[in-house]
Amino acid sequence: MYVAARGGEEAIQHAELFYQALLGKLTPEAVQLVQRQLPFLLDKVMGEGSLYAPELAALALAQTGGDVYEAVLLLRAYRSTQPRIAYAEPVAADNVLTVRRISAAFKDIPGGQVLGPTLDYSHRLLRLDILDGVAEDDSPAAPAAETAAASTYPAVADWQRSQGLLPSIESDQMQAVDIPDVTTDAILFPAPRAHRLQALARADTGGVLALGYASMRGYGLIHPTVNELRLGYAEVEMKHPLSGESFSAGRVRVSQAEVITSGGQSGKAGYQLGFAATLGWNEVKLIAASTLDLEMNHHEPHPAHTEEFVMYHTEAVEASGFCIHFKLPHYVTFASSMDSVRKVIDTFYTGDKPASQELETMKQVQP
Amino acid sequence: MILQDLAQPRQDYSYAFMDAYAKRELRRRILKAIAIPGYQVPYASRELPIARGWGTGGLQVTLSLVGPESVVKVIDQGADDSVNAANLRRFITRMSGAETTTDTLKATILQSRHRIPEEIMTEGQALVLQVPDPEPLRGVTADMSKASQLHADADYGQIWLLLYEQLVRYRQYIQGASYPSLVNGRYIISPSPIPRWDTPKLHQSAHLTLLSAGREKRLYAVPPYTAVYPLEFSDVPFQVEDQRGWVCKTTGIQNKFMNELPQEDGTAQYELSDSGYAEKLMNRGKTAPTYYDDEGNFYHAGYLRPPVLPTL
Repeated sequence: MYVAARGGEEAIQHAELFYQALLGKLTPEAVQLVQRQLPFLLDKVMGEGSLYAPELAALALAQTGGDVYEAVLLLRAYRSTQPRIAYAEPVAADNVLTVRRISAAFKDIPGGQVLGPTLDYSHRLLRLDILDGVAEDDSPAAPAAETAAASTYPAVADWQRSQGLLPSIESDQMQAVDIPDVTTDAILFPAPRAHRLQALARADTGGVLALGYASMRGYGLIHPTVNELRLGYAEVEMKHPLSGESFSAGRVRVSQAEVITSGGQSGKAGYQLGFAATLGWNEVKLIAASTLDLEMNHHEPHPAHTEEFVMYHTEAVEASGFCIHFKLPHYVTFASSMDSVRKVIDTFYTGDKPASQELETMKQVQP
Repeated sequence: MILQDLAQPRQDYSYAFMDAYAKRELRRRILKAIAIPGYQVPYASRELPIARGWGTGGLQVTLSLVGPESVVKVIDQGADDSVNAANLRRFITRMSGAETTTDTLKATILQSRHRIPEEIMTEGQALVLQVPDPEPLRGVTADMSKASQLHADADYGQIWLLLYEQLVRYRQYIQGASYPSLVNGRYIISPSPIPRWDTPKLHQSAHLTLLSAGREKRLYAVPPYTAVYPLEFSDVPFQVEDQRGWVCKTTGIQNKFMNELPQEDGTAQYELSDSGYAEKLMNRGKTAPTYYDDEGNFYHAGYLRPPVLPTL
């Protein structure tokens, strides 16, 4: 096979080797260490990569030296080659094995507030003693409760629905195969709600946070109250293709948030919910995303209130890819623009001085 | 019989990377784009193992067209050995086994960023242009849904107004690359950021041009022998870049698109942007007729007109 043009190829191969020389040796142990020690980073990458695969996410992080956008791109590019072989059954909040579940809207809720694993109320002090090796990491394990906590909890919103504060919902009879899929459909606006929720689930955490925070801080129209935030493990329930029996193909970490605001749909009294869910536990992203879910219908007064603006600009792989593409040579387009600028200067200036308003001829003629 | 006998041999990736469903979608969209010249066809746009914004739109089109018998040429800014062109070429050949070339005339698929080669492409060739921003109306509305409504209504008043404002302010059109152009009398396209020098080459071309924006998820086409006109008022003609007198430092040739190379003494030197063409000239190889002849005359006589500086 004849391969054209060698110079550029050698340069890029060397550049990749230089990069790899900065990373530690890639071994199965190194990947396992990343997977074990950095679960929240894994969740961020799996969420944005929209591929639940802790081992592959750890590999992606190890392989890129922790460059999160590169790791997400690796997962996405791998994901896009995988066929969809089956659809799991829908997951309902009250079936999720829940380890953390809080509501800011009520002091207590049916089933109780479950603080679960969180750093929310910890002092953010660096454990410098660990560095010295003086102290082992000897944080005691949390004491076991006398009675086990419940594994599942009802949804707070169901109570509000029963009170008539939220509109009741009817389950959608849509077949799984008919659910719009943002990864295989062309994107058009107004987007189906499935596309919106999928886009938010895959969105760049930082991008969603920036737009969500802008809304919360004052560019928005609503005050989001966290109705329920939930972390848990969901069973991936499948139907056996022959027997039709349900079985669990495994468990995935999932998280979801609902924010609530007054003012029902289309001017009716009551409340409305903003919702977001992701693979992995991604609390900040969810609160921002569920706020945007409520905001992105409104078109005014801020760009963050249009779904097109939110969905396009929080796409992690596209935003980061386009941003770094400006490193590519642009000397042809720049030459074209310089040609226009020079003509304007020639038309209106002599040296540094503005020319007389009356110009006899234009210098440029047809090439 | 054991299960292994029934299974396909292990294959890490599909031929040409994209799976059959993705290729089918792309091919259908391409056919639609050809059927409606200049119309932006939305497509799903799969992720590829190349960063988004680095030619993934063009690459998806190329991967959906490429076969083992294809001959592929990839250029960036006109150059075959530019790092990004080299990287895309490496990926296309690694995944498809297609042959590569630097000769414009030998290529069956020519993927390019920012340039159309100097030699006149012929029937049966496909030019795949990488597009960062498919929307010529982006400058008048950033909102894609509003822009698609304007296209549907052929409501192009705002873009004409933009050109008129340029004439009022600067007495000339100041658009650099991506000069908005009317295809088949119906849709205005952004011809990807090719310089104005290359825009006329799309007009009544013998080859097929496919323009694809992976990040923006839109592709559009200029089929062979289709009218393409840069937007211009009848009394103020469109102008290509003025590079008269620029002589290529290695080939001594003029009146082809040049790179301007700043020199330490404040002057500039020039070299051919089309590296495949330069290579042929250097090796005294056989070259084909070019879109612009050695005097700078465009091959469709009368298509380009002398400049007029309007008085306003």
